[in-house]
Amino acid sequence: MTFPISGIPGIGASSGIGGMAGIAPTPAVADAVNGDAFSSVLASSFDQLQATQAKTDGLAAKAATGELKDVHDYMIARNESSLAVEMVVGIKNKAVEAFNEIMRMPV
Amino acid sequence: MAIFDTFGISGSGLMTHRKWLDAVSDNIANVNTVRRTDEDAFQQRMVIAEAVEYGTGQGGVRVARAEFGDPEGRLVYQPDHALADDEGYVKYPDIDLGDQMTQMIMAQRGYQANLSVVERATAAYQAALQLGKG
Amino acid sequence: MIGEITPAALHASLSGLAQRQRVTADNIANINTPGFLAGRVDFEGSLRGALRNGETPSINGGTVARSLEPTNTNGNNVNLDAETLIATETGLRYQLALNALDGKYNSIRTALRTQ
Repeated sequence: MTFPISGIPGIGASSGIGGMAGIAPTPAVADAVNGDAFSSVLASSFDQLQATQAKTDGLAAKAATGELKDVHDYMIARNESSLAVEMVVGIKNKAVEAFNEIMRMPV
Repeated sequence: MAIFDTFGISGSGLMTHRKWLDAVSDNIANVNTVRRTDEDAFQQRMVIAEAVEYGTGQGGVRVARAEFGDPEGRLVYQPDHALADDEGYVKYPDIDLGDQMTQMIMAQRGYQANLSVVERATAAYQAALQLGKG
Repeated sequence: MIGEITPAALHASLSGLAQRQRVTADNIANINTPGFLAGRVDFEGSLRGALRNGETPSINGGTVARSLEPTNTNGNNVNLDAETLIATETGLRYQLALNALDGKYNSIRTALRTQ
C-alpha cells in the first residue's frame, strides 16, 4: 500500500541544512513521494554514510600508526561522519513519526 | 610525512643550534689553553649545518660535520711559562673571543626562534583537536 | 559537507596553512645553514581560482618554491623577522579556519537536533 507523504516538511528545507546535499536529497522527502522512492532515498543515505565512515576509519588507522599527514584531515572526516549519522537517524525518526501519525488518523 | 611533524622539524633546529652552542662554549673555555710550540694548538670546533630534504622544505636541519680551526695557533712570548720552549714561546689557540661571542648570540637566537615555533605549533594542533567539540 | 563548497574551501585552506607552518619551521631550523634559500608555500592562488570557477578545491596543500630574496655572505636568505611574522599569521589563520568549520558543524548539529 502506498500513500503520499506530502505532509512531511523536508528535514533539510525547514532547518536550512541544504549543505548535506550528498547525504540526503531533502527535496525528495518534501515532495509527495510514494514509499518506494523514499526507501531508496534512505538506502542511498546509508551508502553515503558508510562511505564517510570508511574514510574516517581509514584516517583513524593512519593516525594510530603515526602516518597521518595533517591532524585536521582526521578531525574533519570525524565530524562529517558523525553529522552524517545524525542526519540519517533524523530522517529515519521523522519518517517513523510521520508514519505513526498517519496510522493514527481515523479512517 | 608524519603527524605533528612540525615538532620534528623544529626539534632538529633546536638540536643543531644546541650543538653549535656546545662547540662555541668549548672554544671559549679553551681560549687560553696553552700548548708547546712543537704540538698542535687547540683547534676551535665549527659545526657545519646542512638542510635535510632541501627540496620539500619540510625536512629540517642536521649537523653535517664538524670542522676544525688552524692547528698553527699563535706564538706568544712567555719565557716564564712551564711549557715554554728554548726561545721562550708557547702556543695559544687561534680563537677570537669576539667572534665566538657573536656566534654564541646567533646560536642562542636561532635556538629561541625554534622554540617559539614549537610553542605556536602546539597551540595550532591543540585547536585542531578541539574541532567539533565547540 | 560532502558536495558543499565552503567546508571544502576551509579544508583546502587548512591543508595549505599546515604546509606553510611546516615550511616556515624548516626555514627557522635552517636559519644558519649556509646556502639555504627560504621556502615559500603558495596555495591561495589555486584556491581562489578553484572557487572562482566553482570547482572543488584540492585539499593536498600548495606548491613549495624557494625564495629568491638576496642572501647574506653565507648564501642564506632566511629573514627571522619575516619568518616569525609568517609563522604567527599562519597559526592565527589556521585557528580561524578551524573556528569557521566548527561553527558550520555546530549549526548543522543544532538544526539536526531541534526537530
